[in-house]
Amino acid sequence: MLDQQPILEVEDVSKSFGGVQALKSGSFKLSRGEVIAIIGANGAGKSSLIKIVAGVYKPDKGHITIKDTVIDPMHHNVGYMRQMGIEVVYQDLAIVPNMTAPYNLFLGRIPRKFGIFVDERKMRKKTEEVLAELKVKTVQSLSRPISEMSGGQQQSIAIGRAIAWGKEIVILDEPTAALGPNETKEVERVVHEIKDRGTAVILISHNLEQVFRLADRILVVHHGITSKEFQKTEVTIDELVKAITLG
Amino acid sequence: MTIHEKTNEIKSQESGGLFQNLRNNGLSDPQTRTKMMERLRDNVPFIAITLVILLFWGISGDRFMSLRNWTFIAQQTPVLLLLAFALLLVVTTGSIDISVGSNLGFSAYMAALGMLWFGTMGFLVGIFAGVLIGILNGVIFSLFKISSFVTTLAMLIIVRAVLVIVSDGRSIYVSDQPMSNSNITSIEAKWLLDLGQFPHILYVSIAITFLLWVVYEKTIFGQQLKALGGNEKVLRLAGISVTWFKIQVFAAAGFMVGLASFINLARSGAATVQAGQMQELDAIAAVALGGTVLTGGHGSVLKTVVGALTLTIVANGLTIAGVPPSWSMIARGVLLIIAIAISLNRKQIDVVK
Ligand SMILES: Nc1ncnc2c1ncn2[C@@H]1O[C@H](COP(=O)(O)OP(=O)(O)OP(=O)(O)O)[C@@H](O)[C@H]1O
Ligand SMILES: [Mg+2]
Repeated sequence: MLDQQPILEVEDVSKSFGGVQALKSGSFKLSRGEVIAIIGANGAGKSSLIKIVAGVYKPDKGHITIKDTVIDPMHHNVGYMRQMGIEVVYQDLAIVPNMTAPYNLFLGRIPRKFGIFVDERKMRKKTEEVLAELKVKTVQSLSRPISEMSGGQQQSIAIGRAIAWGKEIVILDEPTAALGPNETKEVERVVHEIKDRGTAVILISHNLEQVFRLADRILVVHHGITSKEFQKTEVTIDELVKAITLG
Repeated sequence: MTIHEKTNEIKSQESGGLFQNLRNNGLSDPQTRTKMMERLRDNVPFIAITLVILLFWGISGDRFMSLRNWTFIAQQTPVLLLLAFALLLVVTTGSIDISVGSNLGFSAYMAALGMLWFGTMGFLVGIFAGVLIGILNGVIFSLFKISSFVTTLAMLIIVRAVLVIVSDGRSIYVSDQPMSNSNITSIEAKWLLDLGQFPHILYVSIAITFLLWVVYEKTIFGQQLKALGGNEKVLRLAGISVTWFKIQVFAAAGFMVGLASFINLARSGAATVQAGQMQELDAIAAVALGGTVLTGGHGSVLKTVVGALTLTIVANGLTIAGVPPSWSMIARGVLLIIAIAISLNRKQIDVVK
């Protein structure tokens, strides 16, 4: 059963860029081990909403609470949110293409030796562990640029990073948009695994069937406002489509 | 293996899930060919330098392939090499620094002034000057978000002008004995002149090369250089402080220029207003000849050494062969374009600006 104590509470946050109001009012709650899907038309404000949670943007107004702690605007940055156990997989910006798989897995957390050197052995070892946890058999060239792998393989490393460090919340922004059916199935299996170990998941997806397969709750963003929220069991695809287009 | 089996094998590979697919599949023929092309491309700097040496050996014989000439080349390369190192750091991140020539002239002059004022250790003033110009570049570029090309172009002009003002057009000479003539400014530093000669200058260069190799290949800083050249946005989204790092990169490049200016002072025995003029171009060429793609993300210290050596050898070989300086310049320009043309993987390039 779900732990009803919310791990994340987003209250009436907004964000503008110059004249553009990307997000007018975003509010939602998230519990441990819960999967919430965020859906909405292109440009509705979904990515802006999760980037606030990820610490990329400071909200213009409103605030977010993580594990009963209201996040001070002073601390509202990516480094702090990652420390809190929140990890994101961005659709187009998940990996550094010219770097190795271990580097991408440790992105922003490279282990050090004597303060200034890269601890490559530790990275390699941990990479192998994480890949084993993901049930990956063998990766031959851990020292080659990740761009030499297929799109699905690259995505698996990005998701591996999120799983390895996102102990509290894993955010997936269109994680399967660029993947084939088998790779998509694999990502969905991993989402179930993350959920089972008690980590909350925020999933942005345009694929409503996938949303139904994965989500416990569905949040609709319309013109920058989190306008509707449904339990998966209480809604049909038609109702969702209507909510996406009309709010 | 029958065709049927082969088809099945391909099918089973295709149906492998996301994570199973990480297994590296056997190379089919086109891939092998690509791999070979890649290996060839990786070795362009070594092939180029070999060809260049053979060419000039063929043309000039022993006049080129003599101990005396190679000693000369060993003395000529280090200043260019250190400037190329400065550029390697910046170019790896995908930026450029064309102020290194002006910075060299300015820092060398500050080193000479420092020694004039404070004695031997005063040369450190020159190193500080180099770092300071680097930091200034980095701050303007990173904080004010002005492109590195424009920032360092402006700095190229400004720093040279400051040098003219500070020096009032007068050179400072380094001598190995006290000078009685009071019309010229000079510092007595035999050790410095010795440093500029073979073999000391070679030892110093090798030591610096080794240290830079360690920094470039083994440290967090070196790794970050390449990552920044790969995709800056991803680093920012991962919470890495890119702004501060870029300033560090330009400061490190400035430090390299500071070292280069010191070697230049030792080598030429004078700090002049013209020192380093146009050398930014040679340094960029050396980096490119060393196989470093100017869009960033990759690079090699060793190959940069080869690039700088190649450029020096070509200039030297053409001079020995009696080619007039202007024709020598044209030949070097053509060489640069050929080297870059071979080392680029055109399949991966969508847009050229
Ligand atoms: N950094 C930015 N600067 C200016 N405008 C922005 C910025 N980020 C987002 N916007 C604008 O804010 C609006 C919401 O963008 P957002 O990326 O949050 O939408 P989205 O719901 O994720 O859309 P999509 O489904 O296409 O990914 C869009 O109109 C977008 O153009
Ligand atoms: Mg989006």
